[in-house]
Amino acid sequence: MPPQAAEETKGTQDLSAADWSQTHATPAKCTACNRPMDSPLFCGGCHTLHPAEGLNLFQIFEMAPSFDIDQAELRRRYLRSSRAIHPDHNGDSASAAALSLRTSAKLNEAFRVLSNPLSRAEYLLELAGGESSAADKSVPQDVLTRTLMLREEIEEARLAGDAERLQSAGAEVERLRDEALKVVAELARQLPATDLVRKQLRQKLNAVKYYQKLAESL
Amino acid sequence: MNVGEIIVGIDLGTTFSLVACADESGPHILRDPNGEARLPSVILAAPAAADGSAEARFVIGWEARDHAVENPRSTVYSIKRLIGQGAQDIAGEAQYLAYAVRPGPRETVQVELNGRLYSPEEISALILRELRERAERQLGRPVRKAVITVPAYFDDAQRQATRDAGQAAGLEVMRIVNEPTAAALAYGFGVRGEPARAAPEVKPHAQRPHRVSLPLPRCSDAVTLDTPAATGQTVAVYDLGGGTFDISILRIEEGVFQVLSTAGDTHLGGDDFDRTIVLLVQREVREQFGVSIDSPATRQALRTLAESVKVRLSEQATAAIELDLGQQRVYRRTITRDEFEQLTVDLVNRSLALCDRALADAGLKPGDLERVILVGGSTRMPLVRRRVSEHFGKDPYTALNPDEVVALGAAIQAAILAGAHPDMLLLDVTPLSLGIETMGGAVSKLILRNTTIPCRATEMFTTFVDGQTAIKLNVLQGERELAADCRSLGDFELRDLPPMPAGIPKIEVEFLLDANGILNVSAKEQRSGKKASIQIIPNRGLTRAEVERMTRESIAHAQEDIDAHRRIDLLNQVEFDIAKTEQMLARVGDQLNEAERIAIEKQIADLRQFANETKDLDELHRALTAFGHSTLRLAEIGIREALVDRSPGSADRGSDDTNAG
Repeated sequence: MPPQAAEETKGTQDLSAADWSQTHATPAKCTACNRPMDSPLFCGGCHTLHPAEGLNLFQIFEMAPSFDIDQAELRRRYLRSSRAIHPDHNGDSASAAALSLRTSAKLNEAFRVLSNPLSRAEYLLELAGGESSAADKSVPQDVLTRTLMLREEIEEARLAGDAERLQSAGAEVERLRDEALKVVAELARQLPATDLVRKQLRQKLNAVKYYQKLAESL
Repeated sequence: MNVGEIIVGIDLGTTFSLVACADESGPHILRDPNGEARLPSVILAAPAAADGSAEARFVIGWEARDHAVENPRSTVYSIKRLIGQGAQDIAGEAQYLAYAVRPGPRETVQVELNGRLYSPEEISALILRELRERAERQLGRPVRKAVITVPAYFDDAQRQATRDAGQAAGLEVMRIVNEPTAAALAYGFGVRGEPARAAPEVKPHAQRPHRVSLPLPRCSDAVTLDTPAATGQTVAVYDLGGGTFDISILRIEEGVFQVLSTAGDTHLGGDDFDRTIVLLVQREVREQFGVSIDSPATRQALRTLAESVKVRLSEQATAAIELDLGQQRVYRRTITRDEFEQLTVDLVNRSLALCDRALADAGLKPGDLERVILVGGSTRMPLVRRRVSEHFGKDPYTALNPDEVVALGAAIQAAILAGAHPDMLLLDVTPLSLGIETMGGAVSKLILRNTTIPCRATEMFTTFVDGQTAIKLNVLQGERELAADCRSLGDFELRDLPPMPAGIPKIEVEFLLDANGILNVSAKEQRSGKKASIQIIPNRGLTRAEVERMTRESIAHAQEDIDAHRRIDLLNQVEFDIAKTEQMLARVGDQLNEAERIAIEKQIADLRQFANETKDLDELHRALTAFGHSTLRLAEIGIREALVDRSPGSADRGSDDTNAG
């Protein structure tokens, strides 16, 4: 029999307000060679890898949690860290290889989440203690009616074989999604914010996902 | 890793396979004694020995390929299309093969040769071992480690099977690398296909600090290295080989080759283009003469014919076909390039639809690409070049040798693993989404396609009944929503869970895709902290025990194989050199004086006798070299004469060009 998923668990630990702006998770000195560290994941001096456990995704890049992070800088740091910790460059011993595999997986995840605005906002909300999409599936009222109408429109256009109508419906979906994304960005900039703002952000994020699903169905 | 330990790069292709290695001057193809880079991926099983001894003998490469038509049932080709596949996957394929394919255990297929069954892994291992031995002879030292390339769109079972084949060939497979990614690596490293036109040789990354500089073994036969490709480029690699198609979009920046997306079809390649001609001829013969030509022998002959027609149509506008059907029935036909293109345009369009998907997954438009790089022998077809050019709105980049670039890239990756290029890195993606079957046969996706590897996902599970100590998971790969439409990697059974009331255990299962794109699964019960053991019941492929048996056999035979092989090579060389010298003596011997002639005749007789008697292969090698020196003057005269009368040289097969990769 197929298994049943257990209760929803959060991937990352919640941060207290004090932790919110904490960027420098980097220990001052490398535990192996005692030189100052310039990245939380590896020592540039002796090439010892350090586990990423306990770091939030922003801390991996030594950045403060923020919606408006410098994407070029994020990418630069990602490539630099990748070169240092990837399994291709850490195969000398089984233990180094195992740590390198895990740390690389974490680094790749961090870059994937933070380089996309939607997943970045979602992650920021999680850091700020907001509900997950599984715990709160609600969307703003107007979104429900709109998607319902759009769905009907698309269905009718499809049945009628009207490519033009279908295309304009698609454009409308994309417009609504981009509009919702803008609101998501505005709300995410206010984090950690209040319960109300976090609830609004949750709903807007759900709305974007609604529109995205609709766009994919086209 | 030991200093100076050799890791070779192997392109295990559908039609041809190659081996390369890298030293300080860059990557090099390791060629056979005739200077040929490509080894046909063709195996001929020699008939069982008359004494009935059990040991099967195999002929691998050109000879097997040249005699395929006479031995349709005992010649295996395109084994790559069967590796890691189940009977269902190749249902559309097997009917076109001349050799016999049988269903094997655990949804695998097997090949039947002279009454014995072989797994695709075993057949592939023969090709890999041949390449390993070539590398050993060329480098003069044992080769035990390799990087092997696979189509980017290979799934877990196909990757695993390829790695098993390497192990069975006595190779530790350090990395499975995707073919288009390897090609991009060679491109970015500055490998160029054409011979140097006095291009300034710039050592790649010579100015950058190296963490370590390992003395790499020197290889022969340098390829041309150009300035490495400008950094900060976005490129597409369109790779149409003998059996498979891949499209990969990459960003090359600061020495990092980051794959943004990939798409492909592991059953779309040169073989399918050949097949359109085979089907055309079969249909017309049936219509004109009322006979069906579909016996294994004719299938093999038609395949060879179709391939040569395809190759000719890349060069010229028409190709003539003539088939003698016996009883004065002759099928004659001229096929034009236009006709061939009409037959195959659907195949090309299939590849272009996949290009669109890869672009969309990367979030890019065709205009965002700096280059579209063509790789694979099938990209020699004008139709492919034209359609790719139209589709992407730019002329494709064709300066790389489409046959060799993947092996060269594999050698570069091998050098990276050996620590020679700490400033270079490949970041690849998983081509297929990974998920598990949930209630009602649906798929819950844990890792989406085109996620950078290594990557990790976790999922929590619990139990249904009190005291339950095991949970079974069906792990799937694919994009479809229903489990039945995806490929099952096998049942993963979590065992030894501490008995607890139903729903109480919290079992975290971790799915970890490593840098090879191969899945590792582990599980832990959170409340007790107890690690669950995982029993994997593979749905496909070899069991661990089978791989270990093949490995043991391969190691047991390794040294004798190398010696036997080297002996045959040396004896062939002796015969060849003697025949050449005798010819020369007959033609231009009158230009030597009496003493010189007698001396050479004696050298020939001595060498022949020595070759028959000696057991010491090194001695024989020295004797052969000495023979070459002592006949140098004759050879020089011969060459001069040949240049004067411009007699046409005998064409060898090394110069025939084929479309398959």
